[in-house]
Amino acid sequence: MRKALIPGMVLLANLSVFSQKKIEFVEYDLPNGIHVILHEEHSTPIVAVSVLYHVGSKNENPDRTGFAHFFEHLLFEGSENISRGKYSELVEKNGGILNANTSQDRTYYYEILPSNQLELGLWLESERMLHAKVDIKGIETQRSVVKEEKRQRVDNQPYASFLTEMYKRAFPNHPYNWVPIGSMEHLDAAIEEDYINFYKTYYVPSNATLSIAGDLDIAQTKKWIDKYFSSIPKGQAITLYRDILAQTDADFEKRYAISKSKFDKKDFLNSKDPAAKKLIASMTAKPTEIKRTEKDRTPINGVIKDVVYDNIQLPALFMGYKLPEQRNEDSYALKMLNEVLSGGSSSRINKTIVEKKEMATLAFSFNFTLEDAGVEIFAAIASNGVSLDSIQKEFDAQIELIKNELITEDEFQKARNKFENDLVSANSTVSGIAENLANNRVYYGNTDRVNTLMNNYMKVTREDIQRVARKYLTQDSRVILQYLPKK
Amino acid sequence: MQKIILSYSIFFTLFAQAQLDRSVMPTPAPQKANDLKESEVFTTANGITVILSENHKIPKVSFDLSMGSDPRMEGSKAGLSDMAGSLIMSGTNNRPKDQLDKEIDYIGATLSADKNSMFLSCLTKHIDKGLTLMSDVLMNANFPQSEFDRIKKQNESALMSTKSDANSMAQNAIVKVNFPFHPYSDVMTETSLNNITREDVVNYFKTNFTPNGSYLVVVGDINRQQTEQLVNKYFGSWSGGNVYKNPTNAGNFGKGIRVVFVKKPSAVQSVVYVTFPVKIKSGDKNQLPLNVLNNIFGGSGFGTRLMQNLREDKAYTYGCYSSLNIQDNGAWLSAGGNFRNAVTDSAITQILGEFEKITSENVKDDELNLTKSTMNGKFAISLENPQTVARFALNIIKNNLPKDYYKTYLQRLESVNKQVVLDMAQQYFTSKNCNIVVVGNEEIIDKLKKFDSDGKIELLDAFGNEVKEMKKADISKEQLMDNYIFAVTQTKSKKELSKKLKRIKSYERVMEMTSVKIPIPLKMTDYWIAPGTEAQKMEGQGMIFQKLYCDGKSGFTYSMQAGKKEMTVMEIASKKKSSSLFPEMNYATNGTNYELIGIENQNGVDFYVVKTMEDSSESYDYFNKSTFLKEKTISISKRGEETIEKTNLFGDYKDVSGILFPHSMTMSVGEMTFSGKVSKMKINEKIDLKDFKE
Repeated sequence: MRKALIPGMVLLANLSVFSQKKIEFVEYDLPNGIHVILHEEHSTPIVAVSVLYHVGSKNENPDRTGFAHFFEHLLFEGSENISRGKYSELVEKNGGILNANTSQDRTYYYEILPSNQLELGLWLESERMLHAKVDIKGIETQRSVVKEEKRQRVDNQPYASFLTEMYKRAFPNHPYNWVPIGSMEHLDAAIEEDYINFYKTYYVPSNATLSIAGDLDIAQTKKWIDKYFSSIPKGQAITLYRDILAQTDADFEKRYAISKSKFDKKDFLNSKDPAAKKLIASMTAKPTEIKRTEKDRTPINGVIKDVVYDNIQLPALFMGYKLPEQRNEDSYALKMLNEVLSGGSSSRINKTIVEKKEMATLAFSFNFTLEDAGVEIFAAIASNGVSLDSIQKEFDAQIELIKNELITEDEFQKARNKFENDLVSANSTVSGIAENLANNRVYYGNTDRVNTLMNNYMKVTREDIQRVARKYLTQDSRVILQYLPKK
Repeated sequence: MQKIILSYSIFFTLFAQAQLDRSVMPTPAPQKANDLKESEVFTTANGITVILSENHKIPKVSFDLSMGSDPRMEGSKAGLSDMAGSLIMSGTNNRPKDQLDKEIDYIGATLSADKNSMFLSCLTKHIDKGLTLMSDVLMNANFPQSEFDRIKKQNESALMSTKSDANSMAQNAIVKVNFPFHPYSDVMTETSLNNITREDVVNYFKTNFTPNGSYLVVVGDINRQQTEQLVNKYFGSWSGGNVYKNPTNAGNFGKGIRVVFVKKPSAVQSVVYVTFPVKIKSGDKNQLPLNVLNNIFGGSGFGTRLMQNLREDKAYTYGCYSSLNIQDNGAWLSAGGNFRNAVTDSAITQILGEFEKITSENVKDDELNLTKSTMNGKFAISLENPQTVARFALNIIKNNLPKDYYKTYLQRLESVNKQVVLDMAQQYFTSKNCNIVVVGNEEIIDKLKKFDSDGKIELLDAFGNEVKEMKKADISKEQLMDNYIFAVTQTKSKKELSKKLKRIKSYERVMEMTSVKIPIPLKMTDYWIAPGTEAQKMEGQGMIFQKLYCDGKSGFTYSMQAGKKEMTVMEIASKKKSSSLFPEMNYATNGTNYELIGIENQNGVDFYVVKTMEDSSESYDYFNKSTFLKEKTISISKRGEETIEKTNLFGDYKDVSGILFPHSMTMSVGEMTFSGKVSKMKINEKIDLKDFKE
């Protein structure tokens, strides 16, 4: 017992030199499964309200790609109590801002409001979770808007398709095969049932994390959360409730063998009819099953080399290596590896490929890890007249070097200092804190990881960095994409 | 089983007490006062105004140093300041670039510079190291030639990339149409990049980065005493010249709608902006109400008129916004977004319609209230960032605003009413006199003609410069030259022409010239004596500035700076070729390399364009298609690395002894423009060139 204490104290001593200030928070589950995280601080009278739904493009049906992101757009349309187009207006009218984003792994909605409007934010998010309402006009409009978003962000941007092309090849057997923007044909093909099923499966309390940070009073906030979120039905009772709203009498009765009229629409959970009560109770007891995707550790099948023609002037090279999922213990060493290769002007890639050899106008690598797997991508836009093969050789030489020789002590310390600086900066706003807390809870099952993350980096050794370079940057298993100008 | 049901019913009864009517929106708690923390301001002995905004929330600190000088016109060296900006971090006399980069990265800091500022951000514990590096760059940046060459090459590649980046192309076109003859329209091109030397860069840095008039904004985990000590220690010995002030015009306020188009092959969307300059300065009392107007119109968020109409109603776009840019040396508005090809023209119709509506009708109460609340909230949210508080203090000082300008912000915002908004729209917005910039696929160009006041769409290149679109010429180059000579000599046949020309033995022409840049009147005298003697001098207030003499065998040039220089054999040969009453007469016989490249329309007039090529220069002559008279010559010559473009305009053709000579001429080179009026034009008078031979 005493022995175990000593390394703990050493660790603490180490911690004290870090600049990061501890982020205090409380967390708990509501009976219906919503996980709540609250962080209180009063430096500015604003508050960030966010809900993270653990659904992203990887949960999509392969012939409905782009659906998670499309759904994010639809959930701004309105609810039973908020008419079409008023959702954003209510936030803006009350001095707030709102937005949302969708990744492969999650869909994240947030409002930043003056702190006296916290209750409004809770009401809005609870409306979205309980009974969002989307009509045909809304679907058609948002479908076109998403298509324009894709044209603007991908089709009309030089090189912007590289992630799509990379993931397609790196993940042949995992839904990371496609990117969140998805396929416009798939969106066109969607039918009403698709929307209902998606909402039913993923937009349920047990799949949601409510994270709130800022100028709030924890006791009062808990009361409001109880008011707006505890009344959201648990398990499959929420589906029952939504079917009452959406289905015709006949359809409903066919499915549930009970008339809609037996339920109290306004106060569903307190419906008086005994048969209704019974059905609600049994549906409440049935959890909503979400089929989670599997980790993908299958290596890339050999060297996949392809040419992509794009509306560009300068050719570019993109090389991808497969990495393990973000919870893997190697992920910290991999992030530090990337820092040595590409962090800052003094990094190896910038010094050699861009500055010394002038082979590329821009060259970098980045580490992109997700819940089930990740990729390390090397990218370079060639200088005028430099061949992509010669740039690839140079990247390869850099990779070999880091595999064969330990990085210097200076480089090692530099990477640590950089992560310390980044961690401090990441928590400079209440919206950043709300998001970090939610991510750590959902992806790592450990909300307090916001305070201990630096320890994970401090545990990495130079040998670890060399080891992960050898293990993952494998020259016989990677994707190489050459981007060339269209004729 | 029963147990479970029981426990649920308890659960239900609990909620029965707190039955919630979801259709009622929650009412807000009382609004909290937002106390705007005071920034501290002090001035250093060497002229730096220091603004400190203390904030100890996270253990970081930043130093943002910006210069007080106005931008200079860069003309043929457009992009010089950007080039200089990207070279500042290229190393110092104490630290070569590699060393500098390493030391910055080692402490996890950000140290960056651009043409007008330098920025450091680091953890509080690294503050001494960070400032050591920052002050070293500021005082000892040494711009090595190798880095200059590398950055130049990188810029060459970047300029190539611009050609596939619709947004950059649109931004280039916007500054060109809104701010001609203004530093904002200096856009780097391949040619201008070539004209920039390392010396230019060193000079730029030396003159522009001076403590006089500069501002240092310090934000974060630091107090007043520490700030004073550190500023004194690291910036106390910084010295430099005076701050440069250069009042500029407020932009080009043209009449009518002008459509400019930039081609982007295979584009699936068009980038569209309706844009015009705005006559307002930072801190003007109208700035806040104008911001309210712009926010109702398309400022930000989903609720604006542009967003509601073009995204939420028509689904033409992912986003349509208007942005009001009020900068130190000019202001402009641009409204637009990205639209798929098929609806580009419909989108423009809608945007113009929105301008029309907002300049003619009162806004609605609810949208005004929405916008005011949004701005109120954003103001509160913005205060979370300590940089905001410091920026407020900087604005107050830079623009001479009342000290409580931001403290009264919410009060002033509250007082903006519908009438004020309409006044703002009518004073500053327009749907009638504006530019429409479109970057997109050529296939949509015809659908845009209807918007342009004269129905003619100007084509710009990726850098915002005019693209000449030529029609094929309907006559041969020989026919054009004959027609030109017939026109100026007022003859109809070769026979009549040669008879008339034989009578012309010489001419003397005196021209009075003025230039905004030169305070004294100038006189230019030209002589020509058949067959090929030429002399020229420029004088003013009794001094001769320039002279030239060439008789086909020998020749010289003289200038006040360079003295007298004999012409080389090559120069004499070249001069001889052009020395004639009308050099074009001899094109056919003296082997001049020229071609008629087509017909170009300029401001509604068609011109035949003739390109003439010599070793290191080329020129373009513009002949009016209906009169055949020459109205313009653009000559482009290379001198070393530099390209010099000279434009001559000819007008006011008058009959002198049966021949038409232009009596008004304008010459411009770079930023210099001379306007000349012919005061004397004599044929066959006795000419004495004695004083030229000396």
